[in-house]
Amino acid sequence: MNTLKISILFCLLILLGSCSKDDPGNVDNIPGLGGDTWEPGPIDNWIRDNLTTPYNITAKYKWDQGELEFNRTLVPPKEEKIIPVLSAIKTVWIDNYVAVAGDLFMKRYSPKFFVLVGSASYNPDGTITLGTAEGGRRILLYVLNDFRIKGMSDYVPRDSLNVKEMFHTIEHEFGHILHQTVLYTPDFKRISVGMYTSNWNNVTDAEARADGFVTAYAMAAPDEDFVEMISMMLTEGKGGFDVIVNSITGTSPNGTAAAVAQSRLRQKETIVVNYFKDTWNIDFYNLQARTRASIVQLIK
Amino acid sequence: MILRMRNALICFIFALLIFSGCSKDDDSVFDKTPDERVNEALSKAGAALKGSAYGWNAKVVTGTGSTFQFHFRFNEGNRVSMYADIDTTTAGTARESSYRLKALQQPALIFDTYSYLHILSDPDAAVNGGEYGEGLKGDFEYSIDTVAADSILLTGRFNNTKVTLHKATQADAGAWQNGEWRNALAFQYMSRILEYFKRLPVNGTTYEIHFNQSSRSITFLWTDGAGAIHSFTSTYYYNSKGLVLVTPLNNGNASISTISSKGWDAVNGVMRVSVNDVVPATVSGAAKPVKPDLDGPGRWWQTMYQQDSYWISFQGFHVNGVDDAYHVRNIPGFAFMLFWPAFGTQAGVTYDLQGYVNQGQGGLSLDFGSAWMPPLFTADGRIIFRIYGTLGDVPASATTAFNNTNTLMAEANGFYLVQTGNSRYDMVSAKDARSWITWER
Repeated sequence: MNTLKISILFCLLILLGSCSKDDPGNVDNIPGLGGDTWEPGPIDNWIRDNLTTPYNITAKYKWDQGELEFNRTLVPPKEEKIIPVLSAIKTVWIDNYVAVAGDLFMKRYSPKFFVLVGSASYNPDGTITLGTAEGGRRILLYVLNDFRIKGMSDYVPRDSLNVKEMFHTIEHEFGHILHQTVLYTPDFKRISVGMYTSNWNNVTDAEARADGFVTAYAMAAPDEDFVEMISMMLTEGKGGFDVIVNSITGTSPNGTAAAVAQSRLRQKETIVVNYFKDTWNIDFYNLQARTRASIVQLIK
Repeated sequence: MILRMRNALICFIFALLIFSGCSKDDDSVFDKTPDERVNEALSKAGAALKGSAYGWNAKVVTGTGSTFQFHFRFNEGNRVSMYADIDTTTAGTARESSYRLKALQQPALIFDTYSYLHILSDPDAAVNGGEYGEGLKGDFEYSIDTVAADSILLTGRFNNTKVTLHKATQADAGAWQNGEWRNALAFQYMSRILEYFKRLPVNGTTYEIHFNQSSRSITFLWTDGAGAIHSFTSTYYYNSKGLVLVTPLNNGNASISTISSKGWDAVNGVMRVSVNDVVPATVSGAAKPVKPDLDGPGRWWQTMYQQDSYWISFQGFHVNGVDDAYHVRNIPGFAFMLFWPAFGTQAGVTYDLQGYVNQGQGGLSLDFGSAWMPPLFTADGRIIFRIYGTLGDVPASATTAFNNTNTLMAEANGFYLVQTGNSRYDMVSAKDARSWITWER
């Protein structure tokens, strides 16, 4: 038996010893390692000077299928649209937050990576997606090629929908980052308790409002409700939000009276305003007025 | 005995392991590492692309079967400038965009910002006349299959279209720069004919022709001696003289394979052409289709009636050569116009609604519109609308557009409905065919 053990050990030694391989060869020039490179042009310089250097934010505008859905027909953006879009984002979103909350706040919490797509993403159900985001880090913005603001030659009032939707997406995702950093009061979840549903996509905005939600998507979950409130209040402004609240009439199919729905929206508004004040020391109404004014400048 | 057998077996297994584990021969069949070879392939392709003094010609056939000619010139700094025979702008003005070479599963050439090439892939059907969500099924990200001295073979990575780049000559490049291609594309001036229906008489047969400039197809409609209607659709492509049918039309005793443009005749408002390069002819407008689609109006109305849904128009009416002649798009907040069959009932009348959808503070809303009595469907394929009333309050800023649209809708001759796609119809005034509106879903 002993000889057997020794012979096993011996064989193992030989096995291990015999299999030293030599070095893996020349690996110092792997193509694409560290990301794609190209000669920087004016757009690259603009992004570097206005977003990357001050806020550590970057935007990928050149086509990279790996950032996108593989089963959708999409196209990259037109070069002439990129700086207008990014500078609109800077004026409406970054500059206003910096003005009310300071430089450091924005540097610390802003999502860092924008991916820009020229066309919309067409869903099988006939709807289109205008923007998505994941993990509070990466934001995908679609339909850049139709981005037109006041002053561009072919601007029609209908285009303001695209512009507002873009800021809706950005403010929405930024709202997620804020509440994932410091959670809002649990009182918020009690306002519409029992009415959150995964069936929100079959509900119109008007029906959702009759139940005390600012949009249909707000019915998806309390977190979505919270950031939809932030996003709608900022992009529509105080006047616009009041119009939304006051336009609720009659009783909803779920039996919510108009007064109840309005009071729920007002309670949510109060919690959002207090959350910004107590947690981030931000005067929400000041931010709201600034944000809305910047959007109005772009579309009216 | 059993023990000896087992020992022998163990020794045998170890011997096997030792010999198999220790083959040190890991020489690659190639003399360089994969990275070195990929880098080499990329730089070879890059040098070839930039190396052609007069650029490259390419014939691009999209996944939908439409053929387009392109001219690329690859420059330093990841820039490419191109021409394409999509319309007179793309054929007459070079557009610069960016490209890069990248090691994907294969070395790949990516046109990575929007260019003329992307027009074919754009999922917005309004850009290229394809289907929403897929466009014309083009590609702009290609695997580089082979690089030869005067040609490069590419395969699209999304829609799998094949493209061969051929080295261009000075004359090829000149044909684009001097505007020869732009002139060949003068067929788009056909839109200067004010009537919706366009006719081309050749050798005693009058063809009604429908162009789809963007999806590169042309449809001929004609009636034979017995009065039966015939329809023939072919894709076409351009060469620097004019239009070439991929499948020539053959009506039994005559055929059409090419139509070249001989210019726009401003005096008579007709387009001069030459058929098969020999027969001079003209394309002129007509107030009526050669044979109306008798079920068209009924089908159009029923489609949405059965779904309790509505048709959408983003542009309003095209009148006398002017898109959105009544400026509905300038109504503050205007999103789109809709037509909703059997929208509601009032005083016993189930009315259709032609409404104006606005985007207000909190999303889309249907604020005002005109109600129409149930339409009349005539035996000769027309639909006639009769006003019933006004729904909601028409804002002062919309009154002109609203009244003009109503007047046209209520026109006593009514409208023809021409189906132009799965869920797209053109509604053409039966009075003179000089006004129409596109309804889509």
